[in-house]
Amino acid sequence: MTVDGPRLRIGVLGVVVISLFAALLARLWYLQVLSSDEFQVAATTNTERVVYEEAPRGRVLDTNGVVLVGNRVSEEVAIDKANLSTEDRATALDNLSSLFGIERAELEDRLDDPKASPYTPVTVIDDVDEAKAIYIGERQEHFPGVMTRDVTTREYPYRSLAAHVLGYVGEINDTELSASPTEYRAGDHVGKAGVEKAYESELRGTPGRTVYEVDADGTPIRVKERTAPVPGNDLVLSIDVKVQQAAEQALEATLIERRSTATDDKTALHKADAGSVVVLDPKSGAVIAMASYPTYDPTEFVNGISQERYDELTSDDAGAALTNRATSGGYAPGSTWKLVTATAALRSGMITGATSIEDEGVFTIPDCTAQCEFQNIDAVGSGWVNVAEALQVSSDVFFYKLGYDFYTQRPSKSTDRNEVGRNAFDDTANELGFGTSPGLDIGGDAAGSVANPEQRLELNTMYPDKFPTRYWYPGDDVNLAIGQGDLVVTPLQLADAYATVANGGTKFSPNVGKEVRAPDGGPVVRTIAPRVSAQVALTAEVRDPIMSGLSLVTTGRGTGAGVFAGWDRATFEVGGKTGTAEAGNRLANGTRSKQDTSLFVGVAPMDDPQYVVAAVLEQSGRGAEAAAPVVRSVMGQLSGLEVTVP
Amino acid sequence: MTTVTRRLQPRRPLDNTRRPLERRWMHLDVVLLVATGLVAVVGLIMVYSATRNGLQDQGLDQYTYVRKQFLYVMVGGGLLAAAVLIDYRVFQHYALVLYLGVVALLVLVLSPLGVTVNTAKSWFLLPGGFQVQPAEFAKLGVIVMVAAYASTHEGDLDLRRLLVCLGIGALPIGLIYLQPDLGSVLVFVAILMGMLLVAGARLSHIALLTLIGVMGMVAVLQLDVLSQYQKDRLTTFVDSDDQVDGGSGLADIKYQTAQAKTTIAAGGLTGSGLFEGSQTKGGFVPEQRTDFIFTVVGEELGFVGSAFLVLLYGVIAWRILRAARLARDLFGTLVCIGVLTMLVFQVFENMGMAMGIMPVTGLPLPLVSYGGSSMLATLIGIGLVVNIHMRRFS
Repeated sequence: MTVDGPRLRIGVLGVVVISLFAALLARLWYLQVLSSDEFQVAATTNTERVVYEEAPRGRVLDTNGVVLVGNRVSEEVAIDKANLSTEDRATALDNLSSLFGIERAELEDRLDDPKASPYTPVTVIDDVDEAKAIYIGERQEHFPGVMTRDVTTREYPYRSLAAHVLGYVGEINDTELSASPTEYRAGDHVGKAGVEKAYESELRGTPGRTVYEVDADGTPIRVKERTAPVPGNDLVLSIDVKVQQAAEQALEATLIERRSTATDDKTALHKADAGSVVVLDPKSGAVIAMASYPTYDPTEFVNGISQERYDELTSDDAGAALTNRATSGGYAPGSTWKLVTATAALRSGMITGATSIEDEGVFTIPDCTAQCEFQNIDAVGSGWVNVAEALQVSSDVFFYKLGYDFYTQRPSKSTDRNEVGRNAFDDTANELGFGTSPGLDIGGDAAGSVANPEQRLELNTMYPDKFPTRYWYPGDDVNLAIGQGDLVVTPLQLADAYATVANGGTKFSPNVGKEVRAPDGGPVVRTIAPRVSAQVALTAEVRDPIMSGLSLVTTGRGTGAGVFAGWDRATFEVGGKTGTAEAGNRLANGTRSKQDTSLFVGVAPMDDPQYVVAAVLEQSGRGAEAAAPVVRSVMGQLSGLEVTVP
Repeated sequence: MTTVTRRLQPRRPLDNTRRPLERRWMHLDVVLLVATGLVAVVGLIMVYSATRNGLQDQGLDQYTYVRKQFLYVMVGGGLLAAAVLIDYRVFQHYALVLYLGVVALLVLVLSPLGVTVNTAKSWFLLPGGFQVQPAEFAKLGVIVMVAAYASTHEGDLDLRRLLVCLGIGALPIGLIYLQPDLGSVLVFVAILMGMLLVAGARLSHIALLTLIGVMGMVAVLQLDVLSQYQKDRLTTFVDSDDQVDGGSGLADIKYQTAQAKTTIAAGGLTGSGLFEGSQTKGGFVPEQRTDFIFTVVGEELGFVGSAFLVLLYGVIAWRILRAARLARDLFGTLVCIGVLTMLVFQVFENMGMAMGIMPVTGLPLPLVSYGGSSMLATLIGIGLVVNIHMRRFS
């Protein structure tokens, strides 16, 4: 104790004390001032829970305001598993299992669905009846953590009616979620098909958002912020529910009836397993009805559909009920295609309305060595006919000859006469919309295909194995002229092409949606305008002979005359064109893998067309036998002359 | 003795010296008492804020804890007054009795009479639901005993005397280690080091002790002397990764420290406002009313409030240091130094662990954390300092 005394040592201790306090202050400054922001975020995510509430989805109405898709309030059973002990959980699940007769394991799976948010109660049973809901409510001690709550679900008052147009709603999947991660959250419902999908943004509304402040257990302490859900808008369709019903009833009834009739060769009964009807307004492209058979009930999707049932609805063997055959069914158009051939021939000046050609019943390709003869369907000639008469009696030979002439018009592209270019026929077919999607507002509309020499050469060069045919032969044009051969069209494309000719050349992209309205019968928010996709030059010299040809089909010796016998032509003149198309592949025994497709496209009234009705019935025989009667039923409903749906 | 006292006289006269020297009440350290009172008031408010939501949730009276804490402050105030009134030299005289008394209590608490709370057998249960932690009072016993022994040797501690001092400390340390209460053990070590430094231990001895201390620490961590839980608590603060992983004990401690840091930082410059802390209301910080009470200050009062509290402790430390220098004898000086190191170490350790710069040990924040024993022991310690300051001329 000579060099230093207690005073000095106290001083040293004082310095140590000051250093310690300085360290505390420095650390405080660092945490609370310098890096406060990052910790603020951590604290906020710690103490905040955001819960989203789906908005009531808008309704879907028909053109007259009839509800096609509505909402229904139902009760569901949900379990809040956040603060549930293992014993309570077991009690709740056991009692629910015996009350509803659902396996305990199944309930476990639903409760532990990894997609369910841990902060909101998990739905385990949908659509419970009121008595059971009250039972649960009154015996909470037997159902710890269990609640019943009101939910709005999709309701389809007309069940399967227009199912393919309306589509359905389901829980969002991972792909959809990753496509719009900010707008949707797991467990949200989203339109999966049809109108529900295409008009999702109108129908969905804006989800409500509640920010809770929670404690360390996740129990909400208070609501910090809340925005109420904004209901989605209603969507009015151009579909007329009565016409839709008439079309579906006629389609189904006719198919069933055709199953008891024999095929032309009397070897079998018609399978008549599928078909579709499209009704368009040629002045706007509005879809008035669209039916596809077989169909399904979208109610099945309301609370989620089993994979098994979904597979059944999509399997070809089981009829693929989910497929909308009106928009995606690919068919050879048969004689309904003669509208295209006639339009091309008239437009290119190959013929005029007055040009007559002799139909001897058989056409033989000149300078031909193999497969040179092409016959009318019954090998009976029609004599000298002009284009209108040829359409009326559906003379194949008339159009074979046009087809051959079209072939001769093809520019030779090399010394090989089989390497040829495009001609007016190809152009007209494409202009009328074949080979491209019509652009239906709800999507799902296939493009079909129309072969041409250039495309064939290209495909063969690229994929020689898949497309072995390289060159273009006269037989191709002859066959194409009557709607057979290398040609795939959809019923919607056919209707759209007829509508284009019927209205004088304006081609529309068809619309199912008509207008968007504010919820619950509010004012119109937005009108969905007709969309013109192309103008096809059709002079009177071109259109008139075709229109008179269509008129003649339903009268006199027309192929549709029998079907339209007794129809009041003076009041509401229906024209149209029958088609009988070979389908499937030719088998070794000379028969085909599929029976003939029956087609008919009707236009009415002929003086100022307001409706185009296309019907395509698979494996149902001739156009006049199956499709034409369906069109007559629909026309009867449209005109009010033969009302089937009052 | 007298020479030592002279050396400790201030270099310039203080205002107080103008007052009649024999009127000792005129020499009461009002600044120290006011600062102490303010910290205790802050503590009451913070205990209320930390407990009101939890109590309300359980349907209990939201004033349950703060009412008890107020009682502790009142009783502590009474004991402080008693510690002021009795001439501190009486404590010097009965130092051995006091020391043996607390050692006896520490032995007793290990017997079936003691109860275990949070894995440590550190408590006596009294009627009325009160708990007493003898280790808190043992700190004072050791301070008085070491001061008494060292002061008789007038600042000349050779190796033998140094070892006696260490022995005085080692007995209660050993007993507390058996509980086990690692935090309190560390406080005793800090007290001993501080007192030995001022008592005049050789610098070489101090250096050697420090070296042994560091090596001992390493050995304790390396060997299986500590449970994994204790090791985790001690080392978590070194780990900068605050992610909570799984349900192990380590994760719990990481969660605790991460939440404590987040809560303090969430206060920002000015805090969320009294009773407005989301983290505090949500009960995110475990042990918040006791060991982690500083997180409430941090969140609700912000940097401004937290720094104010740190400065209040600074004022207390300054007044105790001042009393240590003014004391009329070495015993008084050493008692002041003992109380100072006890307080400062606990403040630094407690706030440091809440802010992630010190290991997690279960030490209360003096005068603020909820709990009776610490409150009483601290207030008695302050009382001793006031006593020594007051009687510096008589």
